[in-house]
Amino acid sequence: MVWLCQISFSFTSMTAERKRKREESLSSRKLKKLPPAIENDDISAQDTYESSDMQEDEWSNAESDNGEDADWGGISYEAEKSVRSGKRSTKPTGEEIRAIKDATDLFRSNTFKLQIDVLLPNIQPKTKRKPPLERFLLSLYTFLSGLSDVPPKHPLEAARNLLKEGVSVPFPTPLPTEETQWKVAFASPSDITVVGSWANKTSVKGQGRSSFGVDLAVEMPSSLFQEKDYLNGRFFHKKAFYLATIAAAIANPNSGLNVDVSYISTNDDPRLTKLILEPKADGSSTDFTKLNARINIIPTISPTESPIPLHRLSPAHANMRITPESASASSSFSDKQIKDSSNLPSPMYNNALLTSFVPKSYLLSVHAIQQIAPGFKDALALIRVWANQRGYGESGGQAAGISVRGFDGKGPWWAALLMYLILGEEPTSAGGKFGVHGKRKPLGKGLSSYQLFRAALDFLANHDFENEPVFVKAEGGHRYTPDEYSSNHDMVFVDSSSTVNLLAGVPTGSMKLLGNDARRTLETLDDSSTDPFPEVFLVDHRDLQTRFDVVINVDLSKAKSRKSNFHQTLDLGSASNAILSSVSSVLTQALGNRVQAIGILHPTPSTRPLSQAHPLTSHIIHIGLIYNPLHAWRQVDHGPNPASGPDPVSVKKFRDFWGDKAELRRFKDGSIVESVVWDVKTVDEKTLIPRRIVAFVLERHFGIGEEAVRGWQEGFDRMLRLPESVSRYYVGADGAGVGVGFKAALGAFDSVVKAIKALSADEGNALPLSVMNISPTSESLRYTSVFSPVPLPDSIASVLPANARYLNPTEFVIEFERSSRWPDDLKAIQKVKLAFLEKLARDLMGTVKGLRATVIAGDVEGMDESEIRDVARLEVITEEGWAFVGRIWHDREAVLLDRVINDTASTLPHVAHKDKSQRQGRNYHSAIQAREAYTRLYLHAPMHHRAIAKLCHHFPAFAGTVRIAKRWFAAHWLLGGTDGAGYVSEEAVELLCAMFFVKRGWEAEVDRGDEDKDVRGVEQMVVPGSKERGFALLIQFLKDWKWDVRGEGILVPLYGSSTVPNSKQPKAVAASISTGVWKIRTAMDEEGGIWTMFGPDAIVARRVRALAQATWKCLKEMETSASSEKGVVLSIFDHPTDDYDVIIDLDRALLPRYHQNVSLTASQLLQIPRRKQFSNDDELAAASSREIRPGFDPAMLVCRDLKRIYQDTFRIFHDCFGGDRFGIVWDPSLKQPRPFRVLGGFSFSAESQDKQVTGKVDKGSKRDMVVLNEQGVLGELERLGRGIVSGITIHAR
Amino acid sequence: MSSSTSISGFTQISISYSSSSTHYIFARAHISSKKSTSSWPSGRTLFLVNVPPDATERDIILLLKPYGTVEKVIFDSDSPIQGEEDGANSDSEAEEVEEQEEVQHDNDDIDATQPRKRRKLTTKKLEPPKVFPLPSIPLRKLRKTGQTAHVIFLDTSSVDRFFSASHAKPRPWPSSSEEPSGLSHYLALYDSLRPPLDAVRQHANSAMDLYEFELAKSKRESKYKKGEAIVDEDGFTLVTRGGAYGRTVGGGVAVATKKFQETGETSERNKKPKKEKTSFYAFQKAEKQRDELIQLKKNWELDKAKVEKLKASRKFKPY
Repeated sequence: MVWLCQISFSFTSMTAERKRKREESLSSRKLKKLPPAIENDDISAQDTYESSDMQEDEWSNAESDNGEDADWGGISYEAEKSVRSGKRSTKPTGEEIRAIKDATDLFRSNTFKLQIDVLLPNIQPKTKRKPPLERFLLSLYTFLSGLSDVPPKHPLEAARNLLKEGVSVPFPTPLPTEETQWKVAFASPSDITVVGSWANKTSVKGQGRSSFGVDLAVEMPSSLFQEKDYLNGRFFHKKAFYLATIAAAIANPNSGLNVDVSYISTNDDPRLTKLILEPKADGSSTDFTKLNARINIIPTISPTESPIPLHRLSPAHANMRITPESASASSSFSDKQIKDSSNLPSPMYNNALLTSFVPKSYLLSVHAIQQIAPGFKDALALIRVWANQRGYGESGGQAAGISVRGFDGKGPWWAALLMYLILGEEPTSAGGKFGVHGKRKPLGKGLSSYQLFRAALDFLANHDFENEPVFVKAEGGHRYTPDEYSSNHDMVFVDSSSTVNLLAGVPTGSMKLLGNDARRTLETLDDSSTDPFPEVFLVDHRDLQTRFDVVINVDLSKAKSRKSNFHQTLDLGSASNAILSSVSSVLTQALGNRVQAIGILHPTPSTRPLSQAHPLTSHIIHIGLIYNPLHAWRQVDHGPNPASGPDPVSVKKFRDFWGDKAELRRFKDGSIVESVVWDVKTVDEKTLIPRRIVAFVLERHFGIGEEAVRGWQEGFDRMLRLPESVSRYYVGADGAGVGVGFKAALGAFDSVVKAIKALSADEGNALPLSVMNISPTSESLRYTSVFSPVPLPDSIASVLPANARYLNPTEFVIEFERSSRWPDDLKAIQKVKLAFLEKLARDLMGTVKGLRATVIAGDVEGMDESEIRDVARLEVITEEGWAFVGRIWHDREAVLLDRVINDTASTLPHVAHKDKSQRQGRNYHSAIQAREAYTRLYLHAPMHHRAIAKLCHHFPAFAGTVRIAKRWFAAHWLLGGTDGAGYVSEEAVELLCAMFFVKRGWEAEVDRGDEDKDVRGVEQMVVPGSKERGFALLIQFLKDWKWDVRGEGILVPLYGSSTVPNSKQPKAVAASISTGVWKIRTAMDEEGGIWTMFGPDAIVARRVRALAQATWKCLKEMETSASSEKGVVLSIFDHPTDDYDVIIDLDRALLPRYHQNVSLTASQLLQIPRRKQFSNDDELAAASSREIRPGFDPAMLVCRDLKRIYQDTFRIFHDCFGGDRFGIVWDPSLKQPRPFRVLGGFSFSAESQDKQVTGKVDKGSKRDMVVLNEQGVLGELERLGRGIVSGITIHAR
Repeated sequence: MSSSTSISGFTQISISYSSSSTHYIFARAHISSKKSTSSWPSGRTLFLVNVPPDATERDIILLLKPYGTVEKVIFDSDSPIQGEEDGANSDSEAEEVEEQEEVQHDNDDIDATQPRKRRKLTTKKLEPPKVFPLPSIPLRKLRKTGQTAHVIFLDTSSVDRFFSASHAKPRPWPSSSEEPSGLSHYLALYDSLRPPLDAVRQHANSAMDLYEFELAKSKRESKYKKGEAIVDEDGFTLVTRGGAYGRTVGGGVAVATKKFQETGETSERNKKPKKEKTSFYAFQKAEKQRDELIQLKKNWELDKAKVEKLKASRKFKPY
């Protein structure tokens, strides 16, 4: 503790120093008459507020005495004294400094340490509630010791006797038969000890409502056993009888122990059955209900005295020697299988038997390590809380939740894990053979709890459990040879007694999942920007949808293993365990490196009544996969090559595993190998491959039909697809079809770019300025539009119904070379733009065949009042039917606009400032608006586009996530760009989704990954691997996002280290027009308002939160709900309309985007136009005209106009993807009558007559009251939307 | 104001949109306020409040036809400055509108609602080049709801007639058929935004001609010539930053920095922080060390308080 000495040293010397200094300063002050403040300047400069109060009491004391010139020594002494006593509160003592230093050096931060300190008492049993339990344990001890013996009996006879008392004996398979020669008996236990975590005070509360477990090891007397009892489950039968006898005795009302008794089997393994005693609340002195604990009675056997030879229990021994005759009665297996099995090793069986030997030795070893490593206890608590939050542990009963398979009753393992880290490993003879690291060095004993916790996570994250067996340092060295473990178990983690493999029965997938979780937590801990504590310990991470890329629900009730393995069933203890174990191994084999982890999840076992001998296992399991993005969607799996290697076994195995799917194929490189090919038709289907593989192997190996395997991906995919009745026109009858999708859109865009660039290069008829850059800014060119983009060529437009004929214009920005020839005037610039676009349009039509181009000379609202607004656009429709809309970026505009805004427009800015009132004129307002649009359209949009496109390239799941998310926002009537009718812009959604994919420095990482595939690139990054998971993460985030509390919003590190261009705009711009409350900051947009400036505002943002909460509930229930796959997903996108005051129905026949509607059925789409009666010729013309109008969506136009006209009257909501309704919510403040104002901003009517009269009499209210004229407004709506609005429904309140 | 309902001095005109919905417009005779020199004839101007958002000039003319001939309708939201006024003051500051409106009328009689009007200040002296407007069709202009408008009758008697009549009985809204509404409106708008290329070219060229004409004119009229100093009323010569070669309008001299010109602040070069030795004397070191420790403790206490606060909000129950 060298540092400690240093600290305390400097501390003492400092005191002396200070004393001297004060004396000096006091005397010097007297001489120089300097004000104290000056002298103290250097101190106060360092830390003003800190020293100010210190200064105060120091100088106030001194000052008060200063007037008298008398006794200096006395005064200074007194001052000194009082100062010291005053200081004592602020100055830390050595003890405190040590604690503080500890916290900062040994923990992540002060706060982290303090938070741990607060957390721990919450998860440990309360000391003051313990006495009743202790009294009860005492009485239980006397009771158990005094139990009378039962003479040896035939097991079945003994069982029958017990059954009379309502207790069945939990005999595991193979069950004893009438021919059985041995006998069971009972004698009072030779020893009763409290063991496990309770005895060591390392208990940690479990998930859900599960209680603390008090393990009571009841040692069965050695006299009951014989040497051969290790064979054929005889030990377990004797143990079962012993347990049942105790159970019967305690359950007997005469026992005097007022408790509920029940059985529970760890991991649903009947061999590991124990007894659970739960107190009944009777208020007696032994009633420990309030402690929330239960007593587990575990029968054990002494390792030293028992006649069972331990060397017979090594993993390689075959201890299930069942003769065909004895087994045939109870099983359907063939004799041959049974004969084979008798020679196979029974590692799981042996392991289960060994667990009965070890509880006491665990108690001692954990106690010992607690003595030498002070951090052990807390570290164990931390790692268990961490694990519980992630479902590695008890789930707390059937209903409370589900856990990762294999971690039930793994308490000793967590302790052993830390023990291993502290003590190091037992050297194996094979030394370097296992593992590349060689011998693992033990960590120090003095590590803090946090450091140990971190070390454990690090170990879990990086250790290769499959290939590197772990042997905890054992006192007596190895009992069995390490090779025996490795060859018989998947994963090896041998405990400190060197007998039990603690990871026996844990699926390798679960372990990989654990590693994955550990990795993610380490990332959280490394990120210094936020407080990681809640994320690591306090948040429940067991939600399947956010945790796994795909979740598959499997009903195992009809599962029947194709190669049913008798031996495996015996070794694992039960048929259901055998099935689960083979499901796990089959899935691992089938998916290979497609996945990083496979999690099999199900509820942990719950208690069962004594009358029920065997555990009931739940048939529903959840299979969760975490994709490896590099391989997950591979279409071909290669198998062995039958030609090259003379290895017919592997070929046969491969064929056997895949069945019909396996085929011999010749590949491009000339090799002919066995392979499995997964055909896909569309890109969407590619993401389904892992799920199809799972379904296939479950069907092949376990006979589980399609109906028992459920997933939700198709439901989500359907949300992003056009209806069949429309898309078939694109596929084409003859299969030729039209080029659709993002690739085709990009291709079409490139050709337009080329054509424009060719124009500027054209010698004869060149543009005045050459084109520098053409940057796309449309979501359909960055893979993130909800529907994959489609063109609308004339041929298809003519056959599509009117309400499926929508052509989405794709936007881009043209940048010309810089030139001084541009006019220095905003209005004139707009005219020049028009001229440029006109020239472009004319020339494009001249050079490119079939291309149509026009100039759009105004914005869609038709409200273009200000002449400086940048509205001129070029509209191009290519021959293939793609539409593009381009704008011209001229950077001088920004400067000119800033001049207007900052009022530096005149040549002499500081000569004459206009007064404030004039500054707020119309010019100023339109300049503000134009500046905002300029920044957004020309600076941010292209940059954003590039960043998002890059993300889409690197993270396969990103585009899908964004598309689903946009669909969700749209389906809930919120999506709409900054100039659209909605509230949440597309770019904001993209940024929100990007949050789950990018972290600081992601760009560097993916770039490195590009160069060097095998380093930790994309593969190792903890990002969602599927759009469903990304979407679930987004919803989870939205439901809890406290945008209103923190106020600072979120930071998305979308742009890596690239240089920040000068994209600043005057502060006034954002401040004056921003209404949004979401702040999504990036490196380029430090305010975080570019994409959320126009919404959502507080009202809408709250609504988003409420919707996200409902959706989250839906997602959580998805796994358990019985409804069909399609229905569940659809309900997420089904918008509730009850909250709206008014619903306006639109005429579906006239909505060009109706085919994109969420809840559309194909028949509706095609029938509506026919039965529609048109009210006038214009509408008929509009509906049936064959002219293609890119981007023309009357519903959106009406909605936008209404939103603007009635912005102070109501809020209007609409689904931009073919929504056939508007929802309107009145501004609640308008419900109250308010005084008459000329510019009320809403349509009003006078309040009723009689009230008005009284109003006039009342002198206080000068004005007459008016109320909102709802009916009048609705009448206007009807007129404004004539032809589109087909009905108005008012919801009565 | 005989039988009609009135509110705050406004007469209420009921207009029925349909059998179920009625709209109310409130009318009052225009009173020119003392402050602003409003150009509206006070005797024959009617002030309307709560005009329907899609009302056109024609609509209002039709509505008021029974009382007299309307000379002009001015929608106040179209005026250049959106003053936030109350009551009687609302009808000021709109002279310019009138003039512009008149200029506009030269081109097109009925289009108070014309969306894309390029207005150029007309100068009387030299004949400016004429701007060819983009072709347009009459379109409704949808204004914000609850707006005001001024109606100028041809003669004063119309206003009297208006107020003496009864407005209790709802009258139908005379939606003129000249300008389409609803779906047809949007179709027409969509098409009108895409004028023929020839028109665009003609418009752009003529607008540029006008711009250049005005640029030239303002140059001619400018008080300041290149290279000449700017002298204000008090006789001070203004020193400004020059252009690339130190010679711009206003006799720029390369003196003031760009930054000074923009912010009015001088450079911070002179504001060097004073250097002071902070750990020279032994007592300084000691003080520093002590302060660090105190700071440490303080931070610790702060952290503690923070965690306590979190604890109070019961955030530490993991499950």
